[in-house]
Amino acid sequence: MIRKKILLLGDFSVGKTSLVRRYVDSAFDDKYLTTIGVKISKKLCNIAGVECELLIWDVEGSTPSKKISLGYYKGASGAIFVSDVGRRETMDSLGEQREIFLNENPGSKYVTAYNKADKLSEMAIENIVLEDDTFLTSAKDDSNVEELFTRLMEKMLA
Amino acid sequence: MKNIQIILNAVLSKNIVEYILIDSDFRVVSSSTGVDQYLDVMPVKGDETVEHLPEFVGSEDEIKKIFSDASLSFALDSVYKNDYYVNVSVEYFDEKIALILLHNITDITLSQQKLLQYSNESILINSTLKNILDRQNALLFVTSHDEITYTNEQFMKYFGVKRVRDIKRKNVEIFKYFDESLESYDALFEKVNSKEEYITINNDTFILQATEIESTHKLFTLSKVTKLSKKMQLDTHTGAFKKSYFNDHLEKAIKSNVTAAIAVLDLDNFKLINDVYGHQTGDSVLQEVVSLIQENVRDDDVFARWGGEEFLLLLKHTNIENALKKVENLRRLLDEHQFKEINHLTSSFGVALLNPSDDLHSVLQRADKALYEAKAGGKNRVVFKSLK
Repeated sequence: MIRKKILLLGDFSVGKTSLVRRYVDSAFDDKYLTTIGVKISKKLCNIAGVECELLIWDVEGSTPSKKISLGYYKGASGAIFVSDVGRRETMDSLGEQREIFLNENPGSKYVTAYNKADKLSEMAIENIVLEDDTFLTSAKDDSNVEELFTRLMEKMLA
Repeated sequence: MKNIQIILNAVLSKNIVEYILIDSDFRVVSSSTGVDQYLDVMPVKGDETVEHLPEFVGSEDEIKKIFSDASLSFALDSVYKNDYYVNVSVEYFDEKIALILLHNITDITLSQQKLLQYSNESILINSTLKNILDRQNALLFVTSHDEITYTNEQFMKYFGVKRVRDIKRKNVEIFKYFDESLESYDALFEKVNSKEEYITINNDTFILQATEIESTHKLFTLSKVTKLSKKMQLDTHTGAFKKSYFNDHLEKAIKSNVTAAIAVLDLDNFKLINDVYGHQTGDSVLQEVVSLIQENVRDDDVFARWGGEEFLLLLKHTNIENALKKVENLRRLLDEHQFKEINHLTSSFGVALLNPSDDLHSVLQRADKALYEAKAGGKNRVVFKSLK
């Protein structure tokens, strides 16, 4: 069976752990608990007939004073860059995080999640322009979470 | 020998390190008895290492190099495993065996997590407060030494600056908008303190408030009320500005010495329209005239109703040639316009240029005399009255 390591990267409190929890356990908890270090979850998937074990690294969020240990980046086939759609600074910081990731893992694939979309009004959602492979997600409402992970898998297995 | 010593030390130091020995095929050779607390099941000889330690997936090639080079090692910090936090490292044991050490750092990591949680929550609260402040009216925070230390997003957006230091560079000094003779925020504070004052910046009207925050800082709040203020200044009958609003702007223009002209407009034979078509038609003609003029003057110009069928127009930042051209265009516009109910209507204009020696009365009087001459000269024309 193919095993693939993927990372969830982004600033603290953007909902990385909640996205993993929603995708792996179909569960959600509103309470914010800071992730420290890394927690690895497994998920078996079948993408276009290919059996695959996804190893999802839920990595501690970046803060202005603490960047992520580069050791976590090694050997990743893909990454999901997560931001909180209600906190502009978390969207602005994704560019730098993508650059670091691709520098460590040239050729790796990635997708982007503008998370916590449940906080936005319908009108605000309509006004957001999404680039390719970028999803408006909500772990709370289970919106676009499966699609986010599936798209990354498709890109990695292509 | 060195590695055996590591294991022995670990065992002796409160048993906080467990180990697994693996071969170069990445299979388990043996492990310490307490290792199962970090894993789902106790590893047995021959198990694939990544079954128990999925954190090695993607790093297999790097770890395999350790078997042939004793100087190499592999390490991952703070990996969460079965309710424990462990530092995972791989070191050379001999050319056939590598040693995986699992160092329990749960206690210290949980302490760090508490601190990190506190720090992150503080950052989130600050960020939320900033968002709340940014959504308020324009705010300006100034020290007692006249140094601007904070402005919110509304303020920066209005003045087209991105950072606080740009405010100084762009010479945005609010006190000068309030009263040109003021030279500092301290002076502005003295003027405004405990009151609500109107302040005009560009074409917008704001309510300015000043509050002392401790003895070191002053907070100035600018609430934009342009729409409300303009609405209050409109003549409800026609939609043109009221005479009082015109007077305010004319007085300011005279004081500030800007080049400007005024025009008095009178609709020709308007009494006849009221007599023939009735007052309701007369009213709708007035409204149609106002709409036409408003659509054809600049935002900066002030078009007001003087009374009855007489109107006033203040044309700012213009010389007499341009002013006359503009007024003549308006006269022609009304002359050529097909009015809904009365079809045709003409108008007469008296124009005067603002002079430094003018006051409100003198300039209006000059324009009114010019209007009188336009009427006497046969109506439907523009007459300019110079100072002489």
